[in-house]
Amino acid sequence: MDKLNARRRNLTPYILISPFFILFCVFGIYPISYSIITSFFNWPLLGNAAPKFIGFDNYANVLTRDPYFFKALYNTVILLVFGSLMQHVVAVPLAILINSKIIRSKEFFKTTFFLPYITSTVSVVIIFGLLFDTNYGLVNWVISFFSEQQKIRWMFEPWGIQAVLAFILNWKFIGWNMVIYLAGLQSIPSELYEAAEIDGASTLRKHLSVTLPQLYPIMFLAIALSIIGGMQIFEEPFILTGGYDNLGGAQNAGLTSAYYLMFTAFKAYRLGKGSAIAWLLFLVILLLNGINRLAIKRLQR
Amino acid sequence: MKRNALSFLLVLVLVMALVAPVFATGSKEASAAAAFDPNAKYEVTIGAYGDLEKAYKAVFASADFKAKYPNIKVTFQTSDFGGHHNRLTTVLAAKEQSNDIEALEVGFIAQFVEAGGLMDLNAAPFNGGAISKNIVKFAMANATTAKGNLVAMPVDIAPAVLFYRADLAAKAGVNLDNLKDWDEYIAVMKKLADPAKGIYAIEHPAAVQAIPLNGGKGGWIVNGKPLEPKAKFVSALELVRKVKAANVDGDLGAWSGPWSQAYIDGKVATIVNGAWFGGTLRTWLSPEPGKWRVAYLPGKMMASLGGTYLSIPETVPAARQAAAWEVIKYLTTNPSAQLITFKEIDAFPALTSVYKDPVMDEPVAFYGGQKVRKIFADVALNIPENKVSEYDNVMLAIWNGAVTDVVNGVATPEAAYKTALDKIKATIF
Repeated sequence: MDKLNARRRNLTPYILISPFFILFCVFGIYPISYSIITSFFNWPLLGNAAPKFIGFDNYANVLTRDPYFFKALYNTVILLVFGSLMQHVVAVPLAILINSKIIRSKEFFKTTFFLPYITSTVSVVIIFGLLFDTNYGLVNWVISFFSEQQKIRWMFEPWGIQAVLAFILNWKFIGWNMVIYLAGLQSIPSELYEAAEIDGASTLRKHLSVTLPQLYPIMFLAIALSIIGGMQIFEEPFILTGGYDNLGGAQNAGLTSAYYLMFTAFKAYRLGKGSAIAWLLFLVILLLNGINRLAIKRLQR
Repeated sequence: MKRNALSFLLVLVLVMALVAPVFATGSKEASAAAAFDPNAKYEVTIGAYGDLEKAYKAVFASADFKAKYPNIKVTFQTSDFGGHHNRLTTVLAAKEQSNDIEALEVGFIAQFVEAGGLMDLNAAPFNGGAISKNIVKFAMANATTAKGNLVAMPVDIAPAVLFYRADLAAKAGVNLDNLKDWDEYIAVMKKLADPAKGIYAIEHPAAVQAIPLNGGKGGWIVNGKPLEPKAKFVSALELVRKVKAANVDGDLGAWSGPWSQAYIDGKVATIVNGAWFGGTLRTWLSPEPGKWRVAYLPGKMMASLGGTYLSIPETVPAARQAAAWEVIKYLTTNPSAQLITFKEIDAFPALTSVYKDPVMDEPVAFYGGQKVRKIFADVALNIPENKVSEYDNVMLAIWNGAVTDVVNGVATPEAAYKTALDKIKATIF
């Protein structure tokens, strides 16, 4: 009897934590593992044809012949730099400002800056599309007061598409990063600032010598999240440039890696090639996060 | 030891679970339909998009349908255009049960024609070929595989015409009826456009690119070669270049907010589109009667810009297929059903026998009393056949890139054609 009770006691924690592991296996491990297998097959999404094993052909095709993969990767990196990483340049000073004593109604500002993050991406992109419209857009209307030049064709020029996308990404995610940095700022011990004050440090010096070094671990996390999110941008360019039929608009300027992945798998119906692109994208994200880790480690030294 | 055995078992289960679908794919066979029983009760579901439900509900509410099929009750699953086709793709890919009848827009039919997943309506007991002699030939060809399987029945088509604003044409002193070629159209557009007043002759230069390609629904691969004949595709790009160079367009992206506002404000003088666009003008963009007219495309070019097909997925149980087929048959081959659909949503009939109906000769108040249906019917009867392929989606996306390059002036038509061809070869072949 005691043995049975002991066994029950041993099993109970496993049973209690099992829902997570079961769900993680079904919706995490299984599809991820399945996509590795899919990437080695010529796997049409539709029809009755059986998938055909083709080894590394999908990877070879993407890396050596495909005319869009590297273009999409280049666009994604451009948007990562000007859309995702640029946010941190604004978010850190903004968080410091809101955390400072000179700002009152902190909750109001925190909520206001965070609102874009929880706003529907579809609505945001449609509204920005209207703001940047050539003929009816507010942006061109404002520019017309300062410049006599021809209206800017934001949605039809490659640089225009990327500028609008970077603007949307900054607008949407600066608040999110600001909240992360605010949490980091609030965990910095006030004694460090007091010690700096005793040493006669100016406000700027205090932030450079105390705030920033103390924020490095948070920066690593925030930048890692930006890299992961930035490399998977899909909805914004997809909606802004008119969906699968346009492949990112003028000169494919809005075609990102995730956009091309989705196109390949769910418009061209090549699941195998789509899976191969997904795994290559995973490797790029891994590499970029490795660089991020190295850079932060070096700064921490 | 026990732990090792358990780990081995878990890994084995995972590997089997991962590998099983590879072998399971393609194992399901379509079951043969049972004969239709007039005494049995049937409930047929239709997967539809846009306004189709409105039109078909009117058909099923008609006395004729009720008298013929008192035992069939029809229900709908309607979504927006993209959502409907995404759902259909997903259920067919997963081989899950769908609605008994699924509507397909012509732009999506290509991917289902050769891939499978839809019943062959030419086979018994359907024998679709036998009842389709009065359906426009090009639409039947679009829905037929290389092996002769008919995967869907055309229910409506979209003969392409030139819609134009009569008031703006009169003001500019131009005549858009019977334009002899595209050059004449461009010359007329130059007179119509008034940039100072924000009046544009056409929405965007890319709006004309599909016309020389018979609407771009199929025809991308001829005898295994993409974008052939070259002259046809280069001429389409050249036309885009000429329209752009004329500087008469509003640079309006189709279906965007500014695009619709421009029509609502009466700032666009012409549009090249399918007959169904009349419904969009009448119910949304420009409801006031008498402002718009219809003309043949320049040089009486014949093209198709849309159309709807009805299909029965293979996953539909055999017992329900017969009733589904009766509904499809009624919607596609019954003149009354075809005319109700046309009246309700401007979806032009695919059934040619109704073109002789007196209603086709009636003046239409919305077009200032013009007998536009005669033009639609004439175009419908003369649209050339195009062969669709499973690669059409990819080719269209790449082609649109070439068109954008020409519009933006970064490539000549010749260079844009070559780039598109290279990309298509690298992507598909």
